[in-house]
Formats: sequence, C-alpha cells, structure tokens
Amino acid sequence: MEELNLKFVSQKISKIKWQPVPKQSLKVADTFVTGSWDDDVNKICLWKVNSGVQDENLQRDLEPQKICEAAIEGDVTDLCYVAEDQLMVTSSTGSVCMFKHNNHTGLEFCSIWKGLHEMQGESVSCTCIGNRGDDMVATSGEDGRLIILNINQTKPVRIQDNADSCTINSLTFLTQSEILTVNSFGQLKIFDIRRDSDQPVNIFSVNEDNTPLHCVDKHPGQPHIVAAGGQDGMLTIWDIRKDKYPMTLLEAHSAAMWEVKFHPSNPDHLFTCSEDGSLWHWDGSAMNILTNLVAFCWVERMYTIAPMSESSPWISVESSRHKLEINSLLPNKSLPVNSLDIQDSILLCGTDSETIYTVPVPNLC
Amino acid sequence: MHNPVTRKLVNETHNIFSMLQGQVASSTGQHLQSQLVLSSKQYRAVLKACSMELIHLAETTRNEQQKQKCEEQLEIFEMIQLIWGFCQILFIEITPDGLLLNQLLDWIKWHFTEGKQLAVEVIHDDLPAQHPAYWEATFRLLLQGEIDSVRKLLSLNESFQNEAFLSVDELLRKMPQWTHYHHALSAAEFDMKWRHWREECQRRYEEGHYSAFPDLETLVMVLCGDENVFSDIKDMCGTWYHLLVSKMLFQNPTVRAADLHFYAETCIEEFNMSGSRMGELDNILLAAIQFDIHQVIKDSSVFLSTGSWWFVAHITDLLHHCGQLDTQNLPYGSNLREFLILEYATSLMSHKSLWQVGIDYLDYCTVFGRTYVKQFINHMVLDNEKKAQKLLHICQERNLQDEVQTICKVMGMKSLRLGRLGSALAWFLRSKDVTATSKLTERLIEDYSICSKFQYTDILDNLGPAMFLSNRLTFLVKYREFHKLYEKQETPEAASLLLSLLEARLAPRTFWITLLQDAMPLLEMDKVIFSSSQTYVLMHCLEELRHELDSKTDISKKLTNMEKDKLDLLQLCLTRNLSKAIKEEGTIKSS
Repeated sequence: MEELNLKFVSQKISKIKWQPVPKQSLKVADTFVTGSWDDDVNKICLWKVNSGVQDENLQRDLEPQKICEAAIEGDVTDLCYVAEDQLMVTSSTGSVCMFKHNNHTGLEFCSIWKGLHEMQGESVSCTCIGNRGDDMVATSGEDGRLIILNINQTKPVRIQDNADSCTINSLTFLTQSEILTVNSFGQLKIFDIRRDSDQPVNIFSVNEDNTPLHCVDKHPGQPHIVAAGGQDGMLTIWDIRKDKYPMTLLEAHSAAMWEVKFHPSNPDHLFTCSEDGSLWHWDGSAMNILTNLVAFCWVERMYTIAPMSESSPWISVESSRHKLEINSLLPNKSLPVNSLDIQDSILLCGTDSETIYTVPVPNLC
Repeated sequence: MHNPVTRKLVNETHNIFSMLQGQVASSTGQHLQSQLVLSSKQYRAVLKACSMELIHLAETTRNEQQKQKCEEQLEIFEMIQLIWGFCQILFIEITPDGLLLNQLLDWIKWHFTEGKQLAVEVIHDDLPAQHPAYWEATFRLLLQGEIDSVRKLLSLNESFQNEAFLSVDELLRKMPQWTHYHHALSAAEFDMKWRHWREECQRRYEEGHYSAFPDLETLVMVLCGDENVFSDIKDMCGTWYHLLVSKMLFQNPTVRAADLHFYAETCIEEFNMSGSRMGELDNILLAAIQFDIHQVIKDSSVFLSTGSWWFVAHITDLLHHCGQLDTQNLPYGSNLREFLILEYATSLMSHKSLWQVGIDYLDYCTVFGRTYVKQFINHMVLDNEKKAQKLLHICQERNLQDEVQTICKVMGMKSLRLGRLGSALAWFLRSKDVTATSKLTERLIEDYSICSKFQYTDILDNLGPAMFLSNRLTFLVKYREFHKLYEKQETPEAASLLLSLLEARLAPRTFWITLLQDAMPLLEMDKVIFSSSQTYVLMHCLEELRHELDSKTDISKKLTNMEKDKLDLLQLCLTRNLSKAIKEEGTIKSS
C-alpha cells in the first residue's frame, strides 16, 4: 500500500487546488497550486507531483516539487480555475487576481480587480470565488456582496449589493444562472442572476442556532444535492428541490469544517477537512448498493421506473447511515487542515502546520 | 531564526513534542523511557535533516548574504547536535549496565568524519600506501575504533606480508569489542578478556617486534593505551572530548559515566598546554560530564538561544521527563522546564505566522500557560473573519469565555463601524451580548421609524430562539411578524400580536406612537377586529403615553402639533371602535 507524503513548505496553506486536465484527454492531474495566509509575504505556489502515468517505468512519486511562486497581497482566501490555464486568486484585501500558466516561468500575472470588495471605502476580505464554466465568475466576501465578473472585462458585470447581511463564506454555481451561497449565519441561499432583485430565490437554514457555514460543494452528477460544512464541524446534506431544512445532519468533526468535496468522477465518496486537524473520507458506496436495491423493489411493485438519479446514497443516508464508512486519513491530529482537493486517485490537503499532504486514495479512478 | 528552513524545524518538532507530551501523560516506567529515547532521536533526525538542507542551500545560493546566514545557522545547528548527542548518552539513553563507550564512539564517529573521508581518498589512490595521508587516515580511524577499516588500510601496505604487519593485524583481529558479544558478557568478564589482550599487545611491543616500522610501533603503543603516545597524536583528535573517548577505548573500555570527568581533566589539560582555550561548547560538554545539568542548560541558553529557545526548551523538556532535573520551583514561579518552554512559545507567538504552534506549547505549561494564552489572544490582530473564527476555536477549546466575548465584540464593532449591522448582530448574538444586542436593535428600530422599511430581513426572519436574548430584539422580530401577518391579511392574528406587544411593554416608549398608529387601519375596518376589552387596553396605553409625554419638561421631547393631532385622531378611532365592539358583543348571534 502506497504511503501518503508529507511535505513541509514553510508556509501555512489556506487553499489548495488541482489544475484541471482537459476532460477528453487521458492525462492524469499532476499539477496543483497552493495559497498561503497570515505571513509577512503570502504566496501562491505551483507544484508538480510525478503521477507516473507518462512513463510506465517511472515509480509514482507523491512528493510535490515546487515549480514557481508569486507573491500575493493579503491572505490568499480562495483559488479557482476558469480554464485549464487561467487561475483566479482572491485575497483578504478584497482583491481578485488572474494568473495564466506559462511554460517558461510557471505562472504569469495577467490582471487584478483591486479592492473589489469594500465597505465605506475600507477594503474587506474577499472570501470565495466560483466559476460558471465560461468567462464568468462570481465572488463574494465579508461585505455580503455578490459580484459577477467577466474575466475579460475590468468592470464587474453585476454587483448585488445586499445579497447577504452577513459574510458569504463559500459559493458555487448550481446552473448557468443560479448561484448557491453559504453564510456566517448558517444559511444557504440560492440567487438567480437573471432576476433584477438582490433578494435570494430561496433561503435554507441549518438549524435554529445559526451556526456559521464555511463550505459547500455540489454533487457533480446531481446538482440538486449539495453538501455543506459548518463551524460546529457538522456535515449537512441537502436536496435543494425539497426541504427547507437539511435532509441529513451528520456529526463529523469536533471543530469548524473548512472544506467539503465530492469526488469529481466517483461522487459516492466525499472528503472533508477541519480546524481540529483531521481529514476524513466518507465512503458511501456501500449505501449505494442498498439504495439501488430499494429502488429495484420499488420498480417491481409499482411497475414504474425510478429515475437513476434518485439513487444517490447521499439522499437516503438517513436510513442507512450505518453503512456509511468514514475513515480518518491523517496519521495524527495536529494544527488545522484548511483546504483539500481531489482528482483521480490523489487527495491533497494543506494545513496550518505548514504541510502539504498528498494522500493516495486507491480504487477511486 | 525564522527562515524557511528553521520553520520546518519548528513545525516538524512541534508534532514530536505534542506526541511526547501525550505519551508522558499516558505511560510510565520502561515504556515511557523508551518513548523519551525515541523522541530524542526524532528531534535529532529532524535537526540533521535541516542541517543538510542548509548545507544544500549554502552551496546553491548566489546571494552572499544568504550564504553567510546559512553558514552561521549551520554552525549553531552543528553544535546543538553535538551537545544533544552527548546529553542523550549521559542522561536519556542510559544502558542498564552503565557502560557507555559504544555510544560515545558512535557519537564521535557521527561528528568527526575527517578520518573516513581521508580513508576513502587513500583507498582510491593508485598507490594507497604512498599517499601522504595514509598513516594519518589509519590513526584517525583507529582512534575512533574503526578496527575493520584500519585492518583494511594496513592490508593495502606493500609490506603487509611482513611479519610485523601480520602480527599487528592479528592483534587488531583479536581486540575484544563489545558489539561482538551482544552484551552476553558481564562487564567483569569483558574486562578480563580485554586485559588479557592488552598484556599480549604490551608483550609483543616490548619484545621489539615492530621496531623496523615506526608508524606501526606507534599504532601498537596506542593499542597498549600508552599515555605519551596520545599526547603525540592528540591533534588527530582535534578536541579534548574526542581524545577522551579515544583514550577510554584503549585505556578503560568499561568506564562508567560517573567516572568520565576524572579522565576528562587530563585531556583538557593536554589541549590547554598547547595553547587552545576552552570555548563555550567545551564548557557545556564539560558541565555535562560533571553531571551539572543546570549548568548545561544555563550555558546553552546564553550561548545558543540567540533568536530562538528551540534547543534548550526541547532538551529540558526531555530531561525533565527523564527525571534528571530536580523538580524544585524556581524563585520566579514555575519550574525550569516550564520557564524555558514559555520562552520558546513566546518567541513563536511574536512571529506573524507561527503563533498557532506557540499556543500548543503553552498548553503544556500548567502554571502560566493559560495566562499567557489569554494575553496573546487579547493582543492578536483580527484581520478578517476567518482568523477570528480560528481564534474563537482556540478560546472555546480552552474554555476562555471572556476572550470569546472580546473577540465577538471586536468583530461586531468592526462590522458596525463599516455599516454592516446584520453582521454585527450575528456577532453579538454569538457571544450572547445582551447590552450590545439591545443597543444595536434600537438602532434598527430607529432606522425603521425613519424609512418604514425592514432591513436585514434574512437575519430577522430566521433568528429562531436567539431573538429572546434581548427584549428589544424580541420586539423587533415580533413587530416584523405583525407586518407580515398584516400583509397576508390575517388581521385577527395581526391585531392580537400588536396588542400583546403593547401589553408586554417590550417596545421603547418612543415607538409607541408608531405602534398605535399601526392599529388605526385595523380599527377602521368594517369588521370589528378589537373586542371591547382589547380596545380598553389600547385606550389605556394611549392615556399612559399622553400622560408621560405631558409630564416631560424637556421641550424637545414634547409632542409636535402634528403628533398631537394623530393621537387625537386615534382617540376618536378607539372610541368609535369601542362603540362598535360593544354593540356587536351585545348582539345575540343568530346561529
């Protein structure tokens, strides 16, 4: 069994992200980018691991090697690729920068939207960014604004001033026109950018304690299923077509959950990381067998065909939670794990103990 | 101290430290002892890795200044390794039989590598025996007890087939070595074997077997442990502690730790006579030999902790858990271990990025740790929410309620200053700060009176039980609910809610006019909404308001004419409603 790799990088990592590979290509992701926080000079760094696919004889080596770095003003708060070679970086100074991959120097600075998020002339942290799959991205921050940017234009396409009374901590595009956000008041909101109003189409609350939500990810195949993580370490799964309250509350970490991610091509697997220093793998594949079985019986009796999309394990997790297998992936608990990302069979995470872990997750390709 | 390489040291050893503290808390005796040895080795391994990286950096960098810095750091690291290795032998990894020569030899071999390097050079020469450093390499290896390598070198000599060489080779082969016996022998048995062997060496030497080969003769004199010959070749040892170990190897291989310092003195003198003075490092090692641990720590603190207390803090922690330090308290507070860990943690806390590690170290200081954590947290700059959340978690884990309050208050006030009232409210609710919440709610109510529009509804409509924190907030939420009911035309429910708001006297008095006015459209409806008794309540409220306002002497607080008219109109509406209500209540309903 391949061991995980731990690399000390002399920076606290706030965000980590794989560079996407073209969907049709047979390439395996091998390049990723990290952002640091809380340092005298914060940086984004580009790293490469030897995924061992190009050359059969070469042993896969999970130790990342640094390709290049670039300084960023303020803490790096979020990273997002708009295309395979265009990287957006948000910072705690409220600015958003764009970098382009370049074969010679690694990363090349392209443009900056300075002080995009501010209140009364004072810049506030831009906390998150999400892409739509084209030239459009959405950003938000401690000002509660939702800003739509076209990466080719210096002026924002749209600014929704009163999108949120609190801080928006994370966002993702649900569809071409719908954006899902989570905020510091424990709310999940859906905005329709086609509408003129600043008001969300829908507001969901986790519970009556209004515990802040920090992260959200949508199911890659079924965008109505979303997972969110909160300040109390709770994992909540929602079917946004249905309920006002989350359908499933799963007690998870003992402190804030900073990131949650479905495996992009194997969404029965979910990954979370937390302030308590742990990184977890939620394996729902055993539940999936069960739900498929149930769906089948249902079909037999009712003579109807249940749509396959209904058979996600995450929807029926309430009834089969004992089948959910949870594994802790890091050897010992230390300082907070701030970010994670997964592609193919390598899971990355970055921590406040200035380490990057590259964790092999077998059988997930 | 905090360059990229040393930051690795800080973070990597932090894990070892935390793990060890856990072990200390959960295990005892032999198991703990082996854990302590393991941790000591781990610390040294990390230190070694960092040294290697520094060497690499110094070799590759083009920046002269950086190169110099690396080299300075490297020098300190080398010294720390030397002291640590020695302390580990003397105080941490104590062998059951009290013998320590093997460990000392390993220590010397690890830190003095010239002999090996020379030997490699010699062996790779075309004519090894003709190499100018041939004999020097041989002696250096001999002084470190590398017997096999010495034999290898001797075998390369063109005269090896000579009887004298063969005789020396035989002596070397027969030399009793601890490692060969795997501790199956008692110290006394070994001593006997060794004495026997030495007598053999002396006999052959006195018989003059080697007089034809002066170098070989010197070699045998070393084997005999001859005092004078050590003086002659002491420069190949370089330092008195190397000389000490070499001497022990050939003079007293079963030496105990407690007796080392007797022999150390002559070795030091040997070097002093040739003019070299004792440096700080020498003094520290000497103090260790004399079992004066406090002096070791004291000198190391002065000499090696410029910029960082990393070394003294960690070694003292180990020694403390090994029971090597007397646990007496210092005149200024806690014990030595805690004092030094506090120093180290403080140096981390003053770094912009490493403070999280510092907090963890403070957790293991039972006396002052908590106070320090509080102080540091109170002085932390709260740049953004994420940092605030992390600090909050640190406080909550340690049950520091006051600090939680402070952080929430600071963040709330910051939001307030930026005009983010919703966010401010969320922060105040989080810390259950009644006063701040009430103040803020009053501002929200005021804003409503001015623009007649509710703001921050995403929060107000989803407060849940949090709204009961402050009466004002409860009022605001209920009042908003009233408007929602009214908009949905659920008039009876709206009316009774309005009435209960007045009755409960939750609203600020200044807001009563607005509340009573809100009742007007309900009074003017065709259907009777307020019953007679409810109307009496409203009338009573109106009178109370009038009375209070009239009694005010302050002109500015008195009613304007327009407001007076409004109240008069309201009075009229109430009277009319009362008559309607009495009439309806008096009518027997036809079923």
